[in-house]
Amino acid sequence: MGNYYDELFSLCGFEHEEIEKERSRIEASFEKLGIGPDDMETADSRVRRHHDVSLEGVRKLLGAWLKELIDLVLAREEGKKIVYFGFPAILGPGLMLRASSEEVFVSAPDMVLNHTMGQIFNKLDPLLEAGEANGLPPGHALCSLWQAKIGGIAKGMIPVPDLALASSYYCDMGSKADDLVTALYGVPIAYIDGIMDSKWGEYPEYLPERVHYLGARINQAFEKAEKVLGIEIASDAWERSRKNSQPFRDNLAKLTEVMKADPVPVSLVELELLEALSGSSTGSGIQEGIKAMDILIHELEKRVEAGVGVTEKGAPRVMVRLGHTSDPRVTRLFEEAGLAVPLTYILASRGGVKVKSGENYGTAGEIIAEYEMEGGYYHGTEGQIRLYERAAELMKLDGFIAQYLYNCRPVATISHIQKKYLEEKTGLPVLSLEIDNFDSRAYSAASMRTKVETFALMLKAKKGR
Amino acid sequence: MNALAKLDAHLESRLKDLSKAKERGQKIIGYSAGGFLPEELILACGAIPLCFIQAGDNTVLRNSGAYICRWFDPFWRSQAGYLTSGKDPYYSIVDLIVVPITDNHVRAFSNTVGFYTPGIKSFVFGVPHVKDKVALEYYLKGIVRLKKMLEDFTGVEITESRLKQSIELCNRERELFRKISRMRKRRNVSVSGRDFVALNHGSFLADKETMVDILEQFIKEVSDDSPVFGDAPRILYTGSTLARGDSKVMDIVSDNGGIIVMEEFAEGIRPYWDSVKVGGDLLAGLAETYFMDRICPGWFRPGTERLDFLIRLAREYNASGLIWYQLLYRESYKVESYFFSGILKKQTGLPMLVLESDYDAVETEPMKTRIETFMETIRG
Repeated sequence: MGNYYDELFSLCGFEHEEIEKERSRIEASFEKLGIGPDDMETADSRVRRHHDVSLEGVRKLLGAWLKELIDLVLAREEGKKIVYFGFPAILGPGLMLRASSEEVFVSAPDMVLNHTMGQIFNKLDPLLEAGEANGLPPGHALCSLWQAKIGGIAKGMIPVPDLALASSYYCDMGSKADDLVTALYGVPIAYIDGIMDSKWGEYPEYLPERVHYLGARINQAFEKAEKVLGIEIASDAWERSRKNSQPFRDNLAKLTEVMKADPVPVSLVELELLEALSGSSTGSGIQEGIKAMDILIHELEKRVEAGVGVTEKGAPRVMVRLGHTSDPRVTRLFEEAGLAVPLTYILASRGGVKVKSGENYGTAGEIIAEYEMEGGYYHGTEGQIRLYERAAELMKLDGFIAQYLYNCRPVATISHIQKKYLEEKTGLPVLSLEIDNFDSRAYSAASMRTKVETFALMLKAKKGR
Repeated sequence: MNALAKLDAHLESRLKDLSKAKERGQKIIGYSAGGFLPEELILACGAIPLCFIQAGDNTVLRNSGAYICRWFDPFWRSQAGYLTSGKDPYYSIVDLIVVPITDNHVRAFSNTVGFYTPGIKSFVFGVPHVKDKVALEYYLKGIVRLKKMLEDFTGVEITESRLKQSIELCNRERELFRKISRMRKRRNVSVSGRDFVALNHGSFLADKETMVDILEQFIKEVSDDSPVFGDAPRILYTGSTLARGDSKVMDIVSDNGGIIVMEEFAEGIRPYWDSVKVGGDLLAGLAETYFMDRICPGWFRPGTERLDFLIRLAREYNASGLIWYQLLYRESYKVESYFFSGILKKQTGLPMLVLESDYDAVETEPMKTRIETFMETIRG
């Protein structure tokens, strides 16, 4: 027998049999999340308005996020050992934990809440407010992802984890907010510490001790996880985790090829949906995401063959850092202004721009650390900006929309430098945009449209359009 | 001339003295605040260390706006402003800038140095955020690289005996600071927080031997004095950064009849609780003291060592209240302030006042009201 949510789940790529099979879990999770029949109209309308549901791959991607949400919300009841990590994250440790035991659920819950409670149900604000009331007040440029996470825990929507993997290699806020979770709920933390102490001009080189140090921390986190969770990290966990996630990376690389087309075949809104999944999930989300991408890439290749795109052929091509994680309205604005977005930072770093292979290290932690160091993101500010630079040629860009997240210090460090650097090095114009990419409560469409449209007009004029 | 007047006079002529030293071929090495750079290494190669600790002037923040967005701690934005505007003459006189990178606020400043002022020679090394053997090794490698770079830069080899000599000098300075600071444990205090901070700030800029003389003289002077702050509310003052030029809170506390009996700050107050061992491997000794022994700043993970230390200070210094002074957007301190007040109350019964600053003049009056109320609460 059908229920009020069946239509939404069908829209989000669930097969009828899947809905039947998952019915009790859907209902149990919705009860915790406070989602009911009254929310369906909004959800249906948001999904149809903001996502290209004519693409089965997109519908399946939305479904992958919903599956990850249900797994997250019910993890405690279902007897899982729960591990949270922050976003962005070095994903290797989480993937290895997941590969070591079926009993372990590892996820970035804030991103899951953003993409579901935010993007689909438009019910993120109460979580953000709960986060603000529980140690992360507004007005201090604190991370809104963390506000959603703390808020979700405080409201009992998501479980208190058994272990936190703190992204101490990147984010001061994340590690300190993990301390807050410990203070409030007694959650043990494995601090994966690293030091972004590269000197300007050093990238892509780095000191070997950075790999040794970060690698040692990752290895220590495994030891702590074994102790706290009562599991054993399998000797082949690294290989298995790579095998589990490699198809996703391969698909990102394929997608990058597809996105070289003019016109670009799919919206940034959908790119965001899939690339964020690769940084947020280690379980069903990522596995379902792989299947969704297989379908999506096939659909997009057909679009490319037919010359179909989301913007006009010849539209100025810009790279943006990433789409909005909880509110697709914000992301849509770039294409509404006539700009084609073939590439984002995550897509470039995970699937596009290749990193050189370095020397071999002996432990899983060091192997992961070396991989991340060469990728640039956790190397330092210069590594991040140089990825944009390399992408210009790769994707035949006409400009950059270089967002910086005001409430994310590691990203805000690039605020002024990225514009000056990229304009000087590539000769392409750069629009620097200050944003909150996770919380749209303070978003002003008019203000942003003025900036983006003006930039788009300038790029079009430059292209003689 | 009393010790503080002597310090003022010394600092007044300091830039001229530094210019002369520079003409004589001495190198001047500037370094950013945080207490993780062993000055001993600079002294041992015959160079002059200077720590950049000036801040508090809002106009400098406006200068920094051309280089960095406003969402960083105002102290570090100030450093970007001073670096690029030439408003702090100490920035203009140095031959080399060393940045020990701690958190992302410092990293943002280090990016500014590297990207916007490539003409200024600079060197960075990282400070881990956790304390253990692995982290100590990383820190030690950083100061080993620093030593090598200083030797190359100055052309002076840092020999065992030169390093030992400079460690002994710096140990003497730390010992004198400890002695002065501990005088404030007594019920009747004769050392004001403002004087202690003036000495500590002065020590970042002054000639080291002169500073040691001044501290010795100061101890003699206060030992002769009778107590001056008998029944004043005793404030434990803590936060991320106490810059030279940022005396607003100390002034208001003093104007309201209170006395700051202890300052615990990660930046702007020289760590003085521990001395460096002069036997064995001297570099390892420096790393041990500057990294492992030193009470960690709020951005260490976890931050419990510092929070436990605050409880201990509150008890040992018989504090009647704690003022937590955080700079806007320094997230580590902001988050800790949320849960520490409860811990403090539970363990000591003391009240805690959280103040926040963006070095803006408009903060003064609300701050006065809050501090006045806090002092009245303490007095009961």
